[in-house]
Amino acid sequence: MTVDHDIPHNRLAARPPPQDVSLRPDTSPDSPLQPPSYAGRSIGQVCLSLAKMLVGKNKPAAPSTPETSITSAVLFVINHTILLQIFFLLSIYKSIQYLYRKVALKYLTLAYYPNKSPHVIRDDVNKLTKIPKNISCILNLKHEDDENGGIDGLINQISEIAAWSLSAGVPQLSIYEYTGLVNRNHAAYLPLLTKDLSKNLANYFGTASIPTYSIRIPHKNIITYSAPGTTKVDLEITLLSRVDGKPTIVELTKTMSDLAINNELSVNDISIDLIDEELVELVGPEPDLVVCFAPYLDLQDYPPWHIRLSEIYWEQDNKDVNYAVFIRALKLYAHCKINVGK
Amino acid sequence: MSLFYLSWPLKQLWKAALSVKIFHYLVSLFKDGMIAVMRTGPVPKHIALIMDGNRRYAKTKQLPLEEGHSAGAESLVDVLNVCYKVGIEQVTVYAFSIENFNRPKQEVDTLFGLLRDKLRFLSQNEESFASQNKIIIRILGNRSMIPADILHDLEFVEAKTKDFDTKKVFNVCFPYTSRDEIAAAIRSVVEARKSEEITIDSLNASMYFGPNSPPLDILIRTSGHQRLSDFMLWQCNYNCTIEFVQTLWPDFGFYSITKILLKWSYYKALQLEEESFTGMKKNPTKHVSDILKLLPPPPPFASVNQR
Repeated sequence: MTVDHDIPHNRLAARPPPQDVSLRPDTSPDSPLQPPSYAGRSIGQVCLSLAKMLVGKNKPAAPSTPETSITSAVLFVINHTILLQIFFLLSIYKSIQYLYRKVALKYLTLAYYPNKSPHVIRDDVNKLTKIPKNISCILNLKHEDDENGGIDGLINQISEIAAWSLSAGVPQLSIYEYTGLVNRNHAAYLPLLTKDLSKNLANYFGTASIPTYSIRIPHKNIITYSAPGTTKVDLEITLLSRVDGKPTIVELTKTMSDLAINNELSVNDISIDLIDEELVELVGPEPDLVVCFAPYLDLQDYPPWHIRLSEIYWEQDNKDVNYAVFIRALKLYAHCKINVGK
Repeated sequence: MSLFYLSWPLKQLWKAALSVKIFHYLVSLFKDGMIAVMRTGPVPKHIALIMDGNRRYAKTKQLPLEEGHSAGAESLVDVLNVCYKVGIEQVTVYAFSIENFNRPKQEVDTLFGLLRDKLRFLSQNEESFASQNKIIIRILGNRSMIPADILHDLEFVEAKTKDFDTKKVFNVCFPYTSRDEIAAAIRSVVEARKSEEITIDSLNASMYFGPNSPPLDILIRTSGHQRLSDFMLWQCNYNCTIEFVQTLWPDFGFYSITKILLKWSYYKALQLEEESFTGMKKNPTKHVSDILKLLPPPPPFASVNQR
């Protein structure tokens, strides 16, 4: 489905090669990352699963120590049955909670409606005491048949978030998407993204003066500007994917190892500051706020070096990219107290 | 904080009730029962704790700082007890961050002393917690930053417990930050100068936790902050449940940890069931490519123009 047919512009020595997307063998890079199956499960399915667990073959075996006697086996069955009863009650509780949260989210979506108007967003933001300089959003690539799914859905979501960030006055935005669909096929999808983004920004800000932006794909060393010739933009967008996380640190280690073998780098010179400097150049700056648009918190292999002090926000049982979640994340950030070590 | 004041008389009442012997017995019977029940389901292998909120606890109760920290240590013993009984192999705690050296010297000294005393208390003699439950205590972190006298004592504690024939490990991160850990791992990989290819596994193996540590399943942070504060960044960013709890650490006890473990166990059980279900479906599709060769041979060709 997706083939990498571009030539990487390796300007930096430590740039990882483009084919290292399949570092973890169990997840093929082409298959979209599916959220764990429990996310949107109906109570009927849960009951069925629980019933199956009770009668099924694949329940955990009783401890088979030499002194296994009938009493301990019976005790195990009794205890396991109690556990499944607890799970059953939990599933009812979770369903009610899910319903409650969905209603609450619906209410919030109505209460915070941006109406494609930057003034409304700026008014909401101006009630806060502080805003982050760098926001990072974790997006999920949904199945093409789903609402807001596939590449079109993803591009739509990126354009919306970019418009909100601009309206809120946040100058840097990074988008993390596990598979890196846009990043891998930037020749085909980057023009689509810029077209959609410019159209959406025109919707928000009017056609007379569309805000300028730049899109950077650090892994491919690509940067495009909305207005050619100007490098000073209103919003810097960075597109990240799994390869910008641990694989980039591995590549950095390789480069450092090569340098050390050629005696160009002493081992004692490898400090946190040096690594930080390199990784900021290779991936981007540390985000102040990470917003996860998923029903539960899963960092999905997000670059580990960069989430050191980031506030993390997600809305339980929310699957959509909506403004209510975005503004609530900013609210959380405004209330948090930052004190390193103290 | 209003909630705290509301719960205060309730807590007193609970304590008074516990002093009645029969009630105390019933409660501990219930706890043991719960643990036995949880053992029969899926159990995480590795959990990590950020024990935040000791100072706020002391402040709201108007106690000296030291009391807050020792109340935290008490609740740690409670939580450890539950974890190892349920069958968790490794528990990791964030005892002291490298950034904590920014705190006033007096508090740093108190914390060091407290940690040493508590670890000694855990492992000192035959009846103490670590010896009785056969738990290996490991000190993970940048050792060059620990004052010599305290390091000596900590190494003694480590040496005392390291020969236990058990899978139960208690990791104390002291003084630790994840960035320091990653930097140290990179340094050790570079220093090895091996000709073989450097992979993600060689970095994994060079972390303070070592190659044999099971992957992290749950990371718990108490007292409501929704950030990781430089703790186990490398380990927690894939396939790990991160729980941010509002309770202050000294109030985090049996019920809080049970709630989290049950929730994890519930989702894991459903996931396993689903996997076994879809796994059965997936297996036959593996041989799809061989279908053409597996077909029986067709009848002979009969063509007009090719003889």
